[in-house]
Amino acid sequence: MEFAANVTLAALIQQVLVGLSRTTILFIVASGLSLVLGVLRIPNVAHGSLYMIGAFLTYTIATLFGQSASGFWLALLVAPLGVALISFIVERGLFCRLYEREHMMLLLFTFSFSLVFGDVVKLVWGSDYRSLVAPVFLQGSFSIGSLPFPRYNLFLLIIGPLVAGGLWFLTNRTKIGKIARAAAVDREMVGAIGINVSWVFAAVFVIGCYLAGLGGALVAPTQNITQGMDHTIIIEAFLIVIIGGLGNIWGALLGALIFGLTDSVGILVWPQFAIVFPYAAVITVLLFRPKGLLKSTW
Amino acid sequence: MKKLSVFKISLAIMFVACLFVMIPSSYAEKPLKIGIVDCYSGPPSTYTNDVRDAFKMEVAQLNASGGILGRQIEVLTRDSKFKVDIGLAAAKELVYRENVDILMGTINSALAMAISDMCKKEKVPFFVTFSKSDKITGAKGHRYVFSITENTALAGKAAAVGLAKKPYLKYWIAGDDYEYGHAIADGVWTNLQKMKPDVELLGQSWWKVGEPDFTPYITAILSAKPDAVIVATGGAGCIPFLKAAKATGFNERVPFFMHTATELSTLKPLGLNAPEGVIGTSNYFFYYPETAANKLFVKNFEAVYNRKPAVGALYGFLAARYIFGAYQKAGVIDTEKLIDNVEGMWVDSPVGKVTMRAYDHQAMLPMFMGVTQKAAGYDFLIAKDIVTIPGDEVMPTIEEIKAARK
Repeated sequence: MEFAANVTLAALIQQVLVGLSRTTILFIVASGLSLVLGVLRIPNVAHGSLYMIGAFLTYTIATLFGQSASGFWLALLVAPLGVALISFIVERGLFCRLYEREHMMLLLFTFSFSLVFGDVVKLVWGSDYRSLVAPVFLQGSFSIGSLPFPRYNLFLLIIGPLVAGGLWFLTNRTKIGKIARAAAVDREMVGAIGINVSWVFAAVFVIGCYLAGLGGALVAPTQNITQGMDHTIIIEAFLIVIIGGLGNIWGALLGALIFGLTDSVGILVWPQFAIVFPYAAVITVLLFRPKGLLKSTW
Repeated sequence: MKKLSVFKISLAIMFVACLFVMIPSSYAEKPLKIGIVDCYSGPPSTYTNDVRDAFKMEVAQLNASGGILGRQIEVLTRDSKFKVDIGLAAAKELVYRENVDILMGTINSALAMAISDMCKKEKVPFFVTFSKSDKITGAKGHRYVFSITENTALAGKAAAVGLAKKPYLKYWIAGDDYEYGHAIADGVWTNLQKMKPDVELLGQSWWKVGEPDFTPYITAILSAKPDAVIVATGGAGCIPFLKAAKATGFNERVPFFMHTATELSTLKPLGLNAPEGVIGTSNYFFYYPETAANKLFVKNFEAVYNRKPAVGALYGFLAARYIFGAYQKAGVIDTEKLIDNVEGMWVDSPVGKVTMRAYDHQAMLPMFMGVTQKAAGYDFLIAKDIVTIPGDEVMPTIEEIKAARK
């Protein structure tokens, strides 16, 4: 009945753009997860909790400055660094002792951290959700055709390629990036040529978690900052990483695109069953390419 | 001989020790235990905190003057985190381990139905404080469940009365994809169709409960160009949706109705960033009606909790008055006598006299319909153009309840 009832070109373009801005957040979070998974071989279940902590930190810092524009930019800068610091402490203090153990242990360890972080957030910020408002010039929407497109989504559309570009530069053009890629493929060899693999892992882990924090910081003005955020994002991020190819950052981008676009276009085309579309896409991809769309580093 | 005397002495000590344990427990009166299972984390807590706080306020008053029929009242709360499995486990723990006399709760309709089912088997009275599914006292109602909040059938009828007067013909329905969301949407739409047969449903959008990003749904709805939208969000979705509506300018492009949009619990957290012009129905405002009873209630609540009471406070207050009033009338702490006395009982409340209908155990609450608007002197939006719809005008008939329960 309602299938494809309202699909006009304007509406489709609109939904694609909205979907792309969702893709930005999904990509940033999934790329961090993919990075950690590819190099350290750790499925970091606590990634979602770090995303949530990033969002809450952004709220706190922005509110300290009265939720003004400068407060928001400062929060966007500082909150992911705060998350990176937390992840550094956790990594150096606990994770680095477990690299020799089997994967199941590491998975369980990160899972327990996700539970701990979840409750820490509840202790520190309380169980009430928080609401953050974007700076004034990013509020409101402008019209594409006759339909509104929120300004903040446009901001996300600009940030997305910037982060993707930055990540590409980091992994392909910098020394640390090349070492990290080498360590992903063969860590014994990297150790054998005299590089301290442990510090490489620490650096990669911190960068991955910084991305989680950045995703949380960017998403903060668009939705309620609540306790359940970590659960929703970690499932989506894992699915994206799996369909993209484990450890492959461009795979994460592709996966995020598929996920974000099928979601928003599905809402337009078949709103009653829109929830199903991204997951149907994941199943389809895995049926034809069980190892993921792009080459994995494993 | 020595063995026997050691044995006899230890036996004697054990006997005396048992006496010490048994006698005090028969002297000390066990407190009356009331368990509240509700969601105190995340967005729904803005609604549920008031229920617990108002109830505890009444309990504290009673305990200070000697309790109920000589027994002190103990209130135990458990957080369901808006999840049915966690909430049901908590309810079971309260009933089996803590042996509560009465259960209260919850804002999640699916959980309320699950607890209601359990209470029917365990014969523990369950007072539903916020869940609005009409199945609670309708199709799935029974002797041990009471509702002191309005439900989707009442809210739907009241909303339909209001919406039928407006010129909108083409509607879109959107909401949280769970029991309450569908129930309120059905309640409004079925009654609206009865009152205004030429309304047309263009389409529906349903998102998962706790959906964080409404932007794609909002843009999709706008591209369908409806005259008005019925937004069926529940405890977790109301505030995030209103926030998204303001951010995208949804409320300025198409009028929409949301049950509880005009309530303080919904509007206060949004502050002056709430969208204006949203049509909403509610059971209670602290600023309307300006009766003496309401003013006194607001004053007492504010004195203890330093904030204005929202609709949850009314429910907590009603629960206390029904439960303890009925015990007082019965003269004894007995479940069956409590139920017999609550049936048909009326209490004085800040919104006037509220009667508990005996047949389906549903409190007959009045509904207020209004439109959100900024007002001087408040740092949140309030409802204007308020229309009162009395409780007995919107209750489903007893015949309808009978038919539903077959």
